[in-house]
Amino acid sequence: MARLSVGLVWAVVALAAGAASAADDAAARAMRLYETHRYEEAARTLQADVPALDPAGRAPAYLTLGMIYLENAELHRELHQAGLTAQLDYLKKLAAVRGADGSRFVSLYLGRTLLEIGSSGDATKYLERFSTQTGVEPRYKATAEAELGLCHFLRKDASKARALWAALDTADPDVQVALAAVYSRAGLKERDPVAMADAALRKVGASPSPRMLGSLFTVYARAGLTDKGLGLIRQADLKAASYTEVLGQTKTINFYDLSVLGDLAALYLQAGQLYLEKAAADPKLKPTADYYLGVAYADAGNVELSLQATDAFLSVASAPAQYRNRARARHAAGRYLQRRHAEALATWEELAQGKPADADLLAEIILGCVRVRAECGRIAGRAELAAEAGDAKKTRALNIALGKYHLSKKDYRRAVMYLEAGRDKSNKNRIEANDPVMLVSLAEAYYRRRQFSEALEIYFEMSKHFPVVRGLQEALQGIYSMEHNSAGDVKIF
Amino acid sequence: MKKITVVALSILGILIGAPLVSHAGPKNDGRPDGGTLGYGEYGRPSTLDPITSNEMVSLRITELVFNGLVGIDEKQEIVPELAERWEVSPDGRTYTFALRKDVMWHPKEGEESRPFTADDVLFTYSIMMHPKTITPLKVRYEFIEKVEKLGDHSVQFTLKRPILNALAKFSFKVIPKHGPSNPLYLTREDPFVQHPIGTGPYILKAITTDREIVLVANENYFKGRPHISRFISKPFADQNIMTQALMFNAIDMVVLVNPRDIPELQGDKRFILQPYNALSYAFFGYNVRNPLLADKRVRKAFTYAVNRQEMLSSFFNGQGTIISGPFAPGSWAYNLDVQPLPFDPQKAIELLKEAGFTPGPDGVMQKDGKKLALSLKVPIEKESEAVKRVVLAFQNYLKNVGTTIKVEFKEWQAWKESVFLEHDFDVIFASWVFDDSADISSLFHSAEIGSWKNNFGGYSNPEVDGLIVESKLTLDHEKRRTINRKLHAIIADEAPYTFLWALTNYSGYHNKLRRVAIHPYKFFSFADEWFIPASDQK
Repeated sequence: MARLSVGLVWAVVALAAGAASAADDAAARAMRLYETHRYEEAARTLQADVPALDPAGRAPAYLTLGMIYLENAELHRELHQAGLTAQLDYLKKLAAVRGADGSRFVSLYLGRTLLEIGSSGDATKYLERFSTQTGVEPRYKATAEAELGLCHFLRKDASKARALWAALDTADPDVQVALAAVYSRAGLKERDPVAMADAALRKVGASPSPRMLGSLFTVYARAGLTDKGLGLIRQADLKAASYTEVLGQTKTINFYDLSVLGDLAALYLQAGQLYLEKAAADPKLKPTADYYLGVAYADAGNVELSLQATDAFLSVASAPAQYRNRARARHAAGRYLQRRHAEALATWEELAQGKPADADLLAEIILGCVRVRAECGRIAGRAELAAEAGDAKKTRALNIALGKYHLSKKDYRRAVMYLEAGRDKSNKNRIEANDPVMLVSLAEAYYRRRQFSEALEIYFEMSKHFPVVRGLQEALQGIYSMEHNSAGDVKIF
Repeated sequence: MKKITVVALSILGILIGAPLVSHAGPKNDGRPDGGTLGYGEYGRPSTLDPITSNEMVSLRITELVFNGLVGIDEKQEIVPELAERWEVSPDGRTYTFALRKDVMWHPKEGEESRPFTADDVLFTYSIMMHPKTITPLKVRYEFIEKVEKLGDHSVQFTLKRPILNALAKFSFKVIPKHGPSNPLYLTREDPFVQHPIGTGPYILKAITTDREIVLVANENYFKGRPHISRFISKPFADQNIMTQALMFNAIDMVVLVNPRDIPELQGDKRFILQPYNALSYAFFGYNVRNPLLADKRVRKAFTYAVNRQEMLSSFFNGQGTIISGPFAPGSWAYNLDVQPLPFDPQKAIELLKEAGFTPGPDGVMQKDGKKLALSLKVPIEKESEAVKRVVLAFQNYLKNVGTTIKVEFKEWQAWKESVFLEHDFDVIFASWVFDDSADISSLFHSAEIGSWKNNFGGYSNPEVDGLIVESKLTLDHEKRRTINRKLHAIIADEAPYTFLWALTNYSGYHNKLRRVAIHPYKFFSFADEWFIPASDQK
């Protein structure tokens, strides 16, 4: 994500806060947490303070909240992507074990994961396999059939889908909310998935199961019920397994539903957008809010609104040059998505040539290329030279951007090399010192290079602040245990 | 001979090595030969052979000097080494290896080089398993029923039962039949353990009066002459000056950078910091033979009594992770549900009282008239400033809960004898380093109690023994994972150790070294490919 430096925001916040010292204090506290990437804590702290603030002093708080949620959304989006890759690899390996030792539930979770990545055809095969097994508890059979219906629906066989859905007994809240989530994903608002989810939630009281939570997040995220979704997130045990299959005294398998990560990302992005729009209502903060709204709308897939917001920022004559250039780089990415490829590439080329030593600008361009999947080999080559020549601290963001560029090109060796160059080695895995989004990319690159323990170590530290990464940890541990080649050696030191 | 079926990779996931072409002579890969690499080490190893050694310093040396039948490449795949191909029977019990015919042993002093043959493989296995051989390897190879010579360049191993990752276990280093002076078993008195010969890329040339170990390139290495002409292992009694030696060009590489020195190296463009995730952790280990330490409440009390986070933050700049049990956090076996015990001295005192201790007039806990006074033995090689602080802090923390700790620093070999042979200690401070297997069986199985065995503290628990055996017998990965999670929980609760932390591992080296790939455990596995540009060769 293209970020505005904390410094610029602070200047604006300080200017706007003026007489509103309570707002200043609240935003300052949250900003300190934000700077150390403790987003949930930052948001919770500041949101609790907002009602007590003078209405005039709320704008800086809104801006800060917008930034926090935007970052948290990006992190969870990255975790979602990395998680699906690992989860799919793990479940496929697990599904290969058939017979008495095999898992029955692997078909359900493999089907779900395939559905999540858009492979509804392959998902159908596994969901059918699960639902036709003998001895499966009706609740799980029904949830599988709800999702099987979604597969059919997405494959343009609505009648088959409706027949499956109609046969489900929604007296069980688990089934009811699973069906609500399926309706949400199918876009069937007339079925009123929110009412169904609310009804299911009322039945179970204050502690829905992890399985239900996953479906509730889906429903509320897709309905735009941001506060409701965020409220649930704060109550939930996000490290709990969706299902634990017991296959004897010494064999249990924990299954996680990683669509939760995608729903969390969506809820955080909605919250970010909401607060930034509120901040933009304040004329003094509007330019900064517009800058971030450009990012938020782009992340939400709304190119038009993103370009409008960025244009609004660029129209402010007093905006600092370095941020104008970065906004222009992002604007070009929007143009690229509008199929104005030549215009976008020319803008990036002009910016890169005009400021060949501006590592942050080059980073913004490279990240833009990665985001819109543009071919920017020439600029990347020049950026690599700039990264090599520059001071390590000043080129940190550029090294990270180049790492992501090579990750997107599946050149994992170089991805590791650049991401490592951008990592604060004195605080290797600490999210206080390293952007967790970078750490997720690095873990992904290590995973692809079969350096499992490096990836696991990153997630181990990250899980202390983001318990939802447990699903990734379990998947990586599972793959590692199956793939490692070693002799069983141990030495004293 | 039993009928052997070649099993395809896709069926059993077992690699079949391709016939190999001899590369003796230069590698001819366009990269220059020459130059010397001096690297800083944490002391001088007590033995240099792959059988008797159980320490990291010698593991790194043996990686340069010896080969296994198979190796593990950078992609974690099994690759041919001394065996050029292999076949696995369909029942997974018979492994037949065709050996390379172009491998020569390093020349023994005053003798011609001899060829490597099947006899060497049989000899290695038999000497490794001999009851009088002092080695931690036996427990790893008890799954082998027999080994037979099928020809001068063909050997067959029959397993007692199929096991997971069997092929990787044939990466054990092969030693020459004409190496040790005693043809039956190997002890630490045999001259071979100090002056070994192998088949590897480097030949042990000399051990200087400064205790530096000089290795020279093996011109006849079967994979081609390694690029760098000389490796010199330089021991540092004080870790604190190792990084300074690198900064002032006295050495070219530090195998493990002191966490405190990372910022200094990170800011200097002459050096590269390369992470490698050795699965390792530090611990205080208890001798449960001592009646004072036999009660798990006492050992748990000590864990509650020490502020591990404070020690990690203060003495290692926080560069590591507090752990809860016998696996490293980067391992596949770590139980993520077991949390480290908190620092709680009051809870520690309660536990000691529950265990029957009462404070004496001098404040020291006592039971049946015996004071809770213990010795803590630390190898002098670990006498860095940070380690000194850790043991002194431990002493203070335990003093606060009425326990007296007497700290003794001992020379490495003497320390090992006290701990592994004589079991003459109460508490030790050390670290274990694991390969990817995360195998803790030699550490906690009761059969591993004995001279020079890894269960030095004498810990014994039938449930743990049973789970370890079940873990070894299963062919089910998920079952093995579950068992290891259980083991983690039980051992964390029983506290034969106070598990401390896993530290950040970085190697630091001069940027003149090129194509450096580091094996996370063995370190030098790929060192024959490293090179120094001609312009940078000394």
